[in-house]
Amino acid sequence: MTGVVGCRLAAVAVAAALALAPLAQVPGPLRPALGCLAAAALLLAAGAAWRLGPLLAPALLALLAGHVVVLLLRDGRVDAAAPLVGAGLLLYAELACWAQERRPAVRDEPEVTRARVAVLAASAAGALGLGAAVLLAAGVPGGGGLTRLAVGVAAATLTLGLVATVARRTATRPRPPG
Amino acid sequence: MTRRPTRKIGAYAGVAAVALLAGLALGRPEPVAVAAPLALLVVAGLAAARDPELEVDATVDHDRAIVGDEVTVELRLRAQVAVDRLELLLVVPPGLEGPSGAARPWAVALRLGAGEERTIPVTLTCRRWGAYRLGNVLLRAHDRFRLLTWEQQLDRRVPLKVFPEPQALRALVRPFETQVSTGSQVSRHRGEGIEFADIRPFLPGDRPRSINWRATARRGTPWVNERHPERSTDVVLFLDSFVDVRGERASTLDLAVGAAASLAAAYLRRRDRVGLVGFGGFVQWLRPGSGHAALYRLLDTLMETQVFATVAWKGIRHLPPRTLPPKALVVALTPLLDERAVAALFDLLARGYDLAVVEVSPLAAAAGDAGGWEPPLARRLWALERETLRHRYQRLGAAVVEWTEGVHLQQVLLEVEASRRHARLATGAGR
Repeated sequence: MTGVVGCRLAAVAVAAALALAPLAQVPGPLRPALGCLAAAALLLAAGAAWRLGPLLAPALLALLAGHVVVLLLRDGRVDAAAPLVGAGLLLYAELACWAQERRPAVRDEPEVTRARVAVLAASAAGALGLGAAVLLAAGVPGGGGLTRLAVGVAAATLTLGLVATVARRTATRPRPPG
Repeated sequence: MTRRPTRKIGAYAGVAAVALLAGLALGRPEPVAVAAPLALLVVAGLAAARDPELEVDATVDHDRAIVGDEVTVELRLRAQVAVDRLELLLVVPPGLEGPSGAARPWAVALRLGAGEERTIPVTLTCRRWGAYRLGNVLLRAHDRFRLLTWEQQLDRRVPLKVFPEPQALRALVRPFETQVSTGSQVSRHRGEGIEFADIRPFLPGDRPRSINWRATARRGTPWVNERHPERSTDVVLFLDSFVDVRGERASTLDLAVGAAASLAAAYLRRRDRVGLVGFGGFVQWLRPGSGHAALYRLLDTLMETQVFATVAWKGIRHLPPRTLPPKALVVALTPLLDERAVAALFDLLARGYDLAVVEVSPLAAAAGDAGGWEPPLARRLWALERETLRHRYQRLGAAVVEWTEGVHLQQVLLEVEASRRHARLATGAGR
């Protein structure tokens, strides 16, 4: 029971950090609007971490929206904190899902908890590294704006196509008897 | 196992798609840096996921137990492919108590490596008599990144019979009539036996060893001793299972089944033949038999007893003729609540059966259910109605004794015996 509450609180804490971070980076007039967005994002995130699993995607999108608003107001400089945001989003989502996965009636063996913590830590670290790699790759000079756009479109299409393909292949299906 | 995707897949793919599109629209790499880990986790997780191949078996260390005993269910698991998290839930039927508490399923989450075999013992305490099927196990496996779940229900149906705790009974209800076969019951008839009955004048054919020399010397003509022979009896336990009134601690059916098991064991120990009529929505019967085989047959049948709600009229004419042999003692265990059981007992009396009724009182259990707000007048009226019914039986020659919770069965049987003796004296030389 304590573990479930701990997971939920940790998820909400990460979500709070993600929701409040953009507030410090925007000028005064926009701050109340962004504050409202942060509050809504936090509410959704808390709901998703507690019992409402379907709120996970809206919560992630709301948390992401605050950072996109900051990007819109930013000049051409690359935001070096973006990998942290990516890792934070992933960490929040994983913690929220873990909180829902654990049930008070089911006693988790310590080995299961240890393995899960290890996967979480590795996922967050990997997300951080991957985000940094993406930013570094974006900084590499090469081609013109059109070429970079074409590469971006191709990469996005490929990624989404890959996700769709794998997801379809692993869709719900009962194993045939025997 | 049935595979299901979690909602993480949709959420991660959706957010990654939106972030990638935002990156394209804004012409900035930051949204891509945010989207990349989510997309990669989905792709890598789905590509690495393998169907778990699990072998599960359940065994129970005993197939028979007594109320209060502990039995251990052993769940043996073997995984061909590594399972990162396997939720294992054992359904604990009502009447048994698992480590999580009464009638609550017991569950654990564990991790299995490829080829690993685990045996998990689960101790269950038997709280109520009955026939159970154990081994209903629900499995839910997760992959490492929790993108997919696999679910399966296994029902191994391992039988377990829990018998009520036997009560030591030193005195039993004695029948009016005995059978012809030898047993431990002193017959009221006179013949060859041990127990002295009377003396009478010598008749041709009498054995010289039965001559009473003292009486012969005093009277001048030969006199012989008469004795009561030891005979067996047929006892039919009539168990009324139409209604079960459940209180906080026990129910009328629990008490009746426990009493029936104890009575059967005690009568069979005395070499009597014991039969059973389970009279309820579902009528079951056993012809009178003797010995250990009869006892186990009877206990097995008793354990199957349950309340089966029906409005169909049932009478003793539905029973096979040899279930109720002539001269048998019928011991009825009933709460006297259902009209059909009440009528059946009257029918037995009308047919001349030797009937003793142990009325398992539902008053205490019903008072517990009412939570103390039951109007005293209604309760008194109900008690009066029941008393009237008891008198109706007694007028017809049946002994009826109320058995309230907390009273030992032995005390009730002694009351029944005293009541029968009184009835015999009152009617003059009995039946």
